[in-house]
Amino acid sequence: MTIHSEDLYQQVILEHNKRPRNFIKLDPCTHEAEGYNPLCGDHLKVYLRVNAQGVIDEISFTGDGCAISKASGSMMTAALKGKTVDEAKVLFEEFRKLVTKESDAGEHLGKLMVFSGIWKYPSRVKCAILAWHTMKGALDRKATVSSE
Amino acid sequence: MIGTAKDKAPIFSFILKDIHAHDIGTLIDREGVAIRTGHHCTQPVMKHFGVPATARASLAFYNTKEELDILVVALKKIIGVFK
Repeated sequence: MTIHSEDLYQQVILEHNKRPRNFIKLDPCTHEAEGYNPLCGDHLKVYLRVNAQGVIDEISFTGDGCAISKASGSMMTAALKGKTVDEAKVLFEEFRKLVTKESDAGEHLGKLMVFSGIWKYPSRVKCAILAWHTMKGALDRKATVSSE
Repeated sequence: MIGTAKDKAPIFSFILKDIHAHDIGTLIDREGVAIRTGHHCTQPVMKHFGVPATARASLAFYNTKEELDILVVALKKIIGVFK
């Protein structure tokens, strides 16, 4: 008998959880925010270094959380490095729609489509989107973000 | 096991290696076992034990030995998934 969780705990998610990319404090940075989900205790910080042309030169995150929130943060930083702030906001919106099943188009999401099955686990959607809300909060100059 | 009072009630709060309690909860649910996960509205206690969250099996008189075996097998499988 196997654990029936292939749709959620896919290999790529387990791998990003084990070895999260860009899992370090970025110093100096131009934008940062703290994201917290008081209900489950997931807690992370996202740091960005945006240049004068509005391109995200560097992005990183730190924090504690479950495999889903950590893998999501890791894959988000990998996806956004080198993108413009406007592109990052488009990706945020596509990702938000994907995980809430508002839309499964995800035109620009690429590897992030691995989260497409998460809407079946309503209690875990917030884990997947916490890093994204925190990133958006940093760009919008909000110091703290809650995904409660 | 978190909390080892001498005459404790059959409510077992535990952690499993470095696997987060929410991952345990979701995976174990798929095996037919319902447990509670998170900080159980007791953040000061979590802080005291130095853990972000725990998984918690809450047993009662109607739970059977077979059900406990299912729980143990499921926990072992989860360790395998996160290996």
